[in-house]
Amino acid sequence: MITLLKYEIYRRWKWLAIRYAALIILGAIFFNRASASPMQYDIIAESMGKFFLISIVVFAIIIIEGINMLKEDLFEQSGYLTFTIPKKGRTILASKLTLLFLQLSLWTIISIGFGSMFFSKFPYQEISRITTQIDFSFYPTILFILTAFFNFVLMVHLSLTLTKTLLVNKRYSSLMSIGIFFLLAYLIEKFYYGPFLNQIRHAYIEFGTTSNVDVLSAGYTSVFMNVVLSVIFFSATAYLLENKINI
Amino acid sequence: MEYILTTRQLSKYFYQKKALDKIDINIEKGKIYGILGPNGGGKSTLLKLAAGLLKPSQGEIIIDNKNPGVYTKSIVSYLPEINYFYKWMTIKDALNFFKDFYDDFDMERVKESIEFMKLEEKEKISNLSKGMLGRLKLTLALSRDAKLYLLDEPLNGIDPVSREKIITSILNAFNKKSTIVICSHLIYYIEKLLDYVFFLSEGQVISAGEAEDLRNEKGMSIDKLYQEVFQ
Repeated sequence: MITLLKYEIYRRWKWLAIRYAALIILGAIFFNRASASPMQYDIIAESMGKFFLISIVVFAIIIIEGINMLKEDLFEQSGYLTFTIPKKGRTILASKLTLLFLQLSLWTIISIGFGSMFFSKFPYQEISRITTQIDFSFYPTILFILTAFFNFVLMVHLSLTLTKTLLVNKRYSSLMSIGIFFLLAYLIEKFYYGPFLNQIRHAYIEFGTTSNVDVLSAGYTSVFMNVVLSVIFFSATAYLLENKINI
Repeated sequence: MEYILTTRQLSKYFYQKKALDKIDINIEKGKIYGILGPNGGGKSTLLKLAAGLLKPSQGEIIIDNKNPGVYTKSIVSYLPEINYFYKWMTIKDALNFFKDFYDDFDMERVKESIEFMKLEEKEKISNLSKGMLGRLKLTLALSRDAKLYLLDEPLNGIDPVSREKIITSILNAFNKKSTIVICSHLIYYIEKLLDYVFFLSEGQVISAGEAEDLRNEKGMSIDKLYQEVFQ
C-alpha cells in the first residue's frame, strides 16, 4: 500500500505543496497583521476570520480531491493502469483514503495551530469566558467532524463505484448512482443515527448560554457510529472494485 | 496440451448489445495467437476480460487455472489500445511505476528496448507522438517476464518504421514459456508472427485454425483470407 500511496502523492504533489504553503503563508500574514495591532480586537478577530475562511476553502478542496482520487481511476483512461496492477481493491482504496487522512490531519494541525495563535492575542479572561461557555468536548468534536467527512467521501466512492460495477449495464447509471447516494444518506439519517441521536436536527451552538449541540455531546458514541459506517462503506467499495469492476 | 487461457461459453453484454456471445476458446502455452476481426467484433472486450478490467456477463474465463484477479494480473502483461498513462508521467516515471508494481519487470531488458526504440527517458508521455507512444507501451508490456502477453492493436496509428520495430520487439520477447495474444485488423504486418488465428465477428468465433494449415487449405495468405471472410 505504501507504494500506491507514494504514487498517489506523486500524482498531485505540486498541488499539495501549493495548497499547504498557501494556507501557512496566508496564516502567517494574517497573524502578523493581528500581532501588529495589539489590543485592537476587531482587527485580530477580522484576521482570524479571514484565515478560517481560507482554511474552510482548503478543507473543501481536500474533500473534493478525496472524491476525485477514485473518480479519475474509474472514469478516465488511467484506470487501465491502476486496475491492471496486481493489487487488491481494498489496497487501492486504502491508499487513496490514507492520503485523504494525511491531508485532513495536516489541515487540522495547521488550522488548530493558527487558531491557538490567534486566540492567544485575546486577553486571558476573554478566552476563559469563551471556553467555559462552549459546552462541548474538544477531541470528540474533532474526531466526529473528521470521521463524518470520511463517511461522506466513502459514501460518494461507493456510489461512483456502483456506476462502474453493478449498474454499468443499466441506462442512466450515473443518475441512479446519485439517487443511491441520496437514498443512502436518507436511510442512514432515518434508521441509523435517528434512533440514537434524534436531536441531531436541532443542534446549534449558542455563545453566552448553555450550548445544545446534541450530536457533539453524544461524544465518542457518534464517532464510533461513524467509524462503523466507514468500515461498511469501505468493505463494500473494495469488494466491488476487486470483483465487479467494468471499465 | 497445457492451456494458459480458456473461455467457456463466455459472453459479455453492454446494455442489450452482445459484445461477446458464448465464446469457447483455448489458448495453448508457448504460441503466438492472432485474434482477427473488424472493429466492434469483440476483440478488445475479450482482452479486457482477460486483463481483469471487465467481468463476464455469462460463462467464465480461466487464466493459468485461475479466474481473473490479483494473481492473474501478476502474470498477464496487457497492452491496451489507448494511452493509459497518468498525465504527469515521464517515460522514466512509467518505467519506475512498472518496476514498483510488477515483480517480473526486467530493468535490463527495458533499458535495451528503450534504446532500440529510440525513446528518451526524460520525455513527458503526454508530449509523445502516436508512434512513440505505441513504442513505449510495447516496450513496457514486453519488458515483463509474463506468462501471457495481451496486445490490443499494437500497430494502430503507428508509422511503418515503428511497425517494423514493434514486430521485431515482439519476436525478441517471445520465448516458449510465454504466450502472446495479438488483436489486430492490420493482418499484413503481423501475419508472419502468428501460429494460430481466431476470426472474430459480432462477438462470435466464425473461423479458427493453425495459421499454416489455413494458408495451405485455402491457398492464400491469412491477410487475403481475412479480406475474403470480412468482405
